[in-house]
Amino acid sequence: MDVLADLLGGLATALSPQNLLYAFIGCLLGTLIGVLPGIGPVAGVALLIPLTLNLDPTSAIIMLAAIFYGTQYGGTITSVLLNTPGEAASAITTIDGYAMTKQGRAGVALTIAALGSFVGGTVATVGLVVAAKPLGDLGLRIGPPEFFALMVLGISLLVALAGRSMTKALISGVLGLLISMVGIDPVAGAPRFTFGSERLLDGISFVAVIIGLFGLSEILVAARGGTAQAVAPGLRALLPGRADLRRSVPAIARGTGIGFALGLVPGMTGSVSSLLAYGAERRFSRHRAELGSGAVEGVAGPETANNAHANGALVPLFTLGIPASPTIAVLMGAFLQQGLTPGPTLFAEHADVAWGIIASLFVGNVILLVLNVPLVRVWTSILRIPYPVLTALILTFMVVGAYTINFSVFDVFVMVAFGLLGLVLRRLDIPLAPLVLTLVLGPLMERSLRESLELSQGDLTVFLTRPICVVLLVIALAIAVSPLLSRLLGLRKPAVLAEDPEA
Amino acid sequence: MKVKIAVTAVAVATALAACGAQQSGGAAGAWPRKGKPVTLIVSFAPGAAVDAAARVVAPVLEKELGTNVEVLNKPGAGGQIGYTALTKAKPDGYTIGATGSPSVVVSPLDPSRGATYTRQSFLPLGMQVLDPMLVGVAPGSPYKDLKALIEAVKAKPKSVTATTTGVQTGEHFALADIQQKTGAEFAPVHFSEGASSAIAAFLGKHVEAYVGNVSDVKDLVAQGKIQVLGVMSAERSPFLPDAPTFAEQGYQVEGATARGYSAPAGLPDEVRVKLESALKKAIEDPAVVAKMKDLGLATAYKSGQDYSTYWADQETTVKQALPLVRNTKS
Repeated sequence: MDVLADLLGGLATALSPQNLLYAFIGCLLGTLIGVLPGIGPVAGVALLIPLTLNLDPTSAIIMLAAIFYGTQYGGTITSVLLNTPGEAASAITTIDGYAMTKQGRAGVALTIAALGSFVGGTVATVGLVVAAKPLGDLGLRIGPPEFFALMVLGISLLVALAGRSMTKALISGVLGLLISMVGIDPVAGAPRFTFGSERLLDGISFVAVIIGLFGLSEILVAARGGTAQAVAPGLRALLPGRADLRRSVPAIARGTGIGFALGLVPGMTGSVSSLLAYGAERRFSRHRAELGSGAVEGVAGPETANNAHANGALVPLFTLGIPASPTIAVLMGAFLQQGLTPGPTLFAEHADVAWGIIASLFVGNVILLVLNVPLVRVWTSILRIPYPVLTALILTFMVVGAYTINFSVFDVFVMVAFGLLGLVLRRLDIPLAPLVLTLVLGPLMERSLRESLELSQGDLTVFLTRPICVVLLVIALAIAVSPLLSRLLGLRKPAVLAEDPEA
Repeated sequence: MKVKIAVTAVAVATALAACGAQQSGGAAGAWPRKGKPVTLIVSFAPGAAVDAAARVVAPVLEKELGTNVEVLNKPGAGGQIGYTALTKAKPDGYTIGATGSPSVVVSPLDPSRGATYTRQSFLPLGMQVLDPMLVGVAPGSPYKDLKALIEAVKAKPKSVTATTTGVQTGEHFALADIQQKTGAEFAPVHFSEGASSAIAAFLGKHVEAYVGNVSDVKDLVAQGKIQVLGVMSAERSPFLPDAPTFAEQGYQVEGATARGYSAPAGLPDEVRVKLESALKKAIEDPAVVAKMKDLGLATAYKSGQDYSTYWADQETTVKQALPLVRNTKS
């Protein structure tokens, strides 16, 4: 039980008034950064590192880690209230989160997201404490071929995201893949679909696309009187009812599992976790028929997953010293600037610091919960602003958000173009979720496919000779053909599905 | 964060104002005018090694120049976006940039990338970091030393996979250089996401040989997770005193990532002199050197002139290896 003793020692460090204060400031700053679209966790943490350079190492890292997971929660707020994702990992939450806002249930959505984030973050941190070493090694077993299989599995969830028409879902998915092809080819280095513009060499910015596709197009639709306007919730609607909580439990459990597992894999991003968690809800939730029209699972699943991912991603950092995602890489830079080298040597050389930081993750998750549940009322009061004024504010917000991605006006135009595209797609009744899914997974899938083939020097059997890879591919296949099979076998649809308005 | 945005907006506004003011002809002798900030363009995202170095240097530079130095990130296209912005800026000393090779050397050589700059578009002001390349294998690998590895690969080309951080990156050129000088052809696996995914694949034993920078593996060596077979520098790295160099083992291969600072070409001489000496002081400042060391980066100051020479040499090496790098693509 050395671990427990170490952890208690760490808690003593983390609970000192000074460190508590830094954790609190970090959570608050992180939430604010998350709220601002465009400035995501990476840029936010990097820009705030200079603030922490003069603190002692433990406090500095505690504050930066708090900023990091604070952003994961902050991104939810704008997704739910304004239909504008504050950062990429919350993009998918807009679908059900904003639908809930339109029903006057924004408070419920935000509270459930806070609860889910808390559970996901805490469970992932327990995982870090209990089994960091074996879990870290497990993450390493995911090489390029396994990564590819995982991406195929993710894309197979497209069948779950299809609404009424599989054809329309496929159109949307292919469109996403096409957009993800723009930019420098990740392996051969040749520019694709850039039309000679060097702005396009890096591809089309994902955040600009989702701000336009979800946020702007929604406003355009509303401007034509197409959709209901957001309703400010009454006080009673702020807290989730028993039914909401009961329905959220399985979604939070699935979100925790998906987020934590994917967080362990080097190179995986939080947006993949939240997308797959949403896909899983669409496929496996008992209330899957309601998803898309304001179901609480559509918020609980992805929001839990991105926080579990954020904390899970610390496992490879602490056990192996490898940053599993860009944000973690920035955090690692902060460790180094403090003279600490993340990795197993950290526990040998600076055990007190390491355990102090881990303990602060628990404390930080509590702070985040305590901070955010009361703030829900503050945030939702934004909706009391008269709609025309609010629309103008949201538009300003979206333009600033798109601009700050790369500090370039180009992304603002991208955002506007995708807003128009979103409008067209909505008119044609083409679902947007498959597009986002393939846009996120497409580049990762392509990269891992080509890395795998370089590894095997062109031999395709590399995907069939590795056990983890085969298992993942079989599951993917099962999911992909499941709608087809059930139709072929003439299986009777379960009662829930029979009432599916989209069926 | 509202404040941050405001600060950025002000920075952008002042930068724009600076461009406008220049046209009415500011005398170079007065450079830098008080209150007129110097923009330091970093062509990579916040948090990248180049960015970290620039942010360590900026405060000292500020003190030396007596005016604000604003670090401005213009990431994208492997540095090309930022380099374009730097070379298109007015050569008035109010815009300088961090330059890293081989990225800055390689991008103009490939016509399909449509870069608008060449080596002559830059005026190197000073070099800060030289981070040598190395080749390593897992402990317990059948290749006990560099000779064993190279002979094995020579006997059976492409039999050993090796990491790079993408096509036409420093690692890729290093592999091409090894092939040219020893005849050993490795099978490169390009991890375009960067060194951390390459390291993960190496640690997971998916790739046999790791090719990368000294700063990437310093800690892995301490943990005994990698056996460094050869460092591509003239002398042993102070971070890895036990790792032999290529030269020691009879292979004349050298390669490194070099990072420094440059201005757009055409800078007035007085301004150049002032900037060069301020940069020299900032780079050699003991506190800055210590911070860089914590980041795993050895400070290796070179003056603008020497940096220029190094840059040209590297371009020659790269040009020689270019056909080979292009061939290994297919």
